[in-house]
Amino acid sequence: MSELVDAVLRCLLVLGAFLTLPLLVGQMEHKAMAHMQSRVGPMAAGGFHGWAQLVADGVKFVQKESIVPGAADRKVFELAPAVALVPYLVALLAIPLGPFFGQGNLVGQDLDLGLFFVLAAMSVGVLGTLMGGLGSGNKYSYIGGMRVAAQLMSYELPMVLAAASVAMLAGTLSLIGIAEAWEPWWLLAQLPGLVVFFVAGLAELQRPPFDAPLADAELVMGPLTEYGGMRFAMFLLAEYAGIVVLAGLTTVLFLGGWAGPWSDQLGWVWTLLKIVLVSFLVIWARVAYPRLREDQVNSLAWKVLVPLALAQIAFTTVLVVW
Amino acid sequence: MTLAELVFLVLAVIAVGSALLSMTSGQLVHSALWLVVTLGAVAGCFLLMTAEFVAWVQVLVYVGSVVVLVIFALMLTRQSTGEKSAEVTGNRWLAAILGVVAAIGLGATMIAGFRGEEIEGRRIGTAGSIGHALFTDWVLPFEILSGVLLAALVGAIVISRSGSDR
Amino acid sequence: MAWWGKGLVQGLAVTWKNLTRRSVTARYPDVEPDLPPRSRGVIALQEENCTSCMLCARECPSWCITIDSHKEIIPATTEGGRDRSQNVLDVFDIDYSICMYCSICIEVCPFDALHWSPEFAYAEGDLKDLTHDMNRLRTWMGTVPPPQALDAKAEQGKELESFRRSEGEA
Repeated sequence: MSELVDAVLRCLLVLGAFLTLPLLVGQMEHKAMAHMQSRVGPMAAGGFHGWAQLVADGVKFVQKESIVPGAADRKVFELAPAVALVPYLVALLAIPLGPFFGQGNLVGQDLDLGLFFVLAAMSVGVLGTLMGGLGSGNKYSYIGGMRVAAQLMSYELPMVLAAASVAMLAGTLSLIGIAEAWEPWWLLAQLPGLVVFFVAGLAELQRPPFDAPLADAELVMGPLTEYGGMRFAMFLLAEYAGIVVLAGLTTVLFLGGWAGPWSDQLGWVWTLLKIVLVSFLVIWARVAYPRLREDQVNSLAWKVLVPLALAQIAFTTVLVVW
Repeated sequence: MTLAELVFLVLAVIAVGSALLSMTSGQLVHSALWLVVTLGAVAGCFLLMTAEFVAWVQVLVYVGSVVVLVIFALMLTRQSTGEKSAEVTGNRWLAAILGVVAAIGLGATMIAGFRGEEIEGRRIGTAGSIGHALFTDWVLPFEILSGVLLAALVGAIVISRSGSDR
Repeated sequence: MAWWGKGLVQGLAVTWKNLTRRSVTARYPDVEPDLPPRSRGVIALQEENCTSCMLCARECPSWCITIDSHKEIIPATTEGGRDRSQNVLDVFDIDYSICMYCSICIEVCPFDALHWSPEFAYAEGDLKDLTHDMNRLRTWMGTVPPPQALDAKAEQGKELESFRRSEGEA
């Protein structure tokens, strides 16, 4: 019985994290981006520095009529937001937050193959955007969908390679195992892998500067052009949940997860702190760099990231064998 | 019948059913998306047979990359929403017969080879055991396969360069 | 010299600097804006100065000024003197839905009947209400600030010089 309670409690915790962390990241994006552009961002909603802006946005999205374009492929169009959103929830299930006041590791489910599980879930999530592009019956969505596919194929490889490098060094595919095997000097030895993983993750989430599929100046909003109301909100939530998953994965794989002072008690605080830090980096990259052209997106993947990831793997092999 | 067997049966039915739908669907894009369901259900079957590694790799590689590649190819070659595709007609009956024959052949081989095998309690599908097996018992096939893949890669480059500056 | 990744580093540096500085956003509805002198908000009309000479209406590039007037006879104040006629305004409308705030009307007015007021918050729910009539234009006069003081070393106005000279002579 207590096992069942434990499982339910863990699932509820993950669901809670899934519903709050993306909003936190979204609010951070609002405010950090605003201040980086010498603005103040939302100030009115909720009173104190617009903390309730995303709640207000959510209320607005709920009130909107849900429209399906006449030319759309109805089933595919309606299913796409769910396909985009749910995988990130599933992925969050396997990301460990570290020791919680000596009560064991705070994780939805410790999987023997956690790394592969999370990467697999992330790769499914992008399918939602692709379905949106295909099913909207709109040429901008269509071109956007093609760009999504091209980008996904290019960046999947370096991402998995970079992750594999860490897994090789740690000798395990379990996320908890990798974080526990982590040592500070990995920060230097895995630096190229870290960069490759982070950049490829950004591209996989179609975050700026890799948002060529959305490219509002060319493609209106790419695959999301025809979406509005709740469905659009789900795509947005998927984007921010994707940031959380990417930040969590980067933290656990490359930044040592809960490594830090008093990690037996406060390990989860360290992990959360690092996740916030990486999320901030995601936002910072968005503000600091203009969108890459479509050919630049693909040439970066094949000419820079893949060779870099392969070199990293070769180097890690030497380290492990030696 | 245990719960695991029941779930396995459900997943198998989903896999076969969506595979049939993927073959008979009027639109190529729908076929590709039904293929996603099939592959996912097959991954679930792998999971129930304790082959976790294969299951996640199945999702990562097939759902995440191969299906995306298929859809990308579809998008590049035709405007696919709305109209019926021509591929559904033509040789469909011949293809169906070939498919059934292949299924019977493969199924017979499987049954002949593995009938009565029990996987209960043996964690044969973990990353560790698969890696161990790959680099001890199956080194030669593994290396030959990588050679085949390399040849395919070179071939792809040669074909794709043929247009501009051979 | 352009090295690889320079743009990214520069972008990160600029955005970080902005993040640590105070933002420049004007918090308008909460805080009244600090407008510079000679701000062009709305045009105020001092109707007793107006002679209906129509210069403003004719010079207006967007034709947003409507003037109508009639002549009134002012009887001669002295015996055997001539009666004088004076133009009295009937209509003086400025349509702010067309006005482009070029300030030409104010420049050309020979009798200082038109003035800039810095008031800018006169948006309306209906386009027609943006046409301000004579009385409304008159009310803006109260918000016209005194002319900005000249700079310390600036040349004084010519009329002031001649006024001082005449004072000295008297």
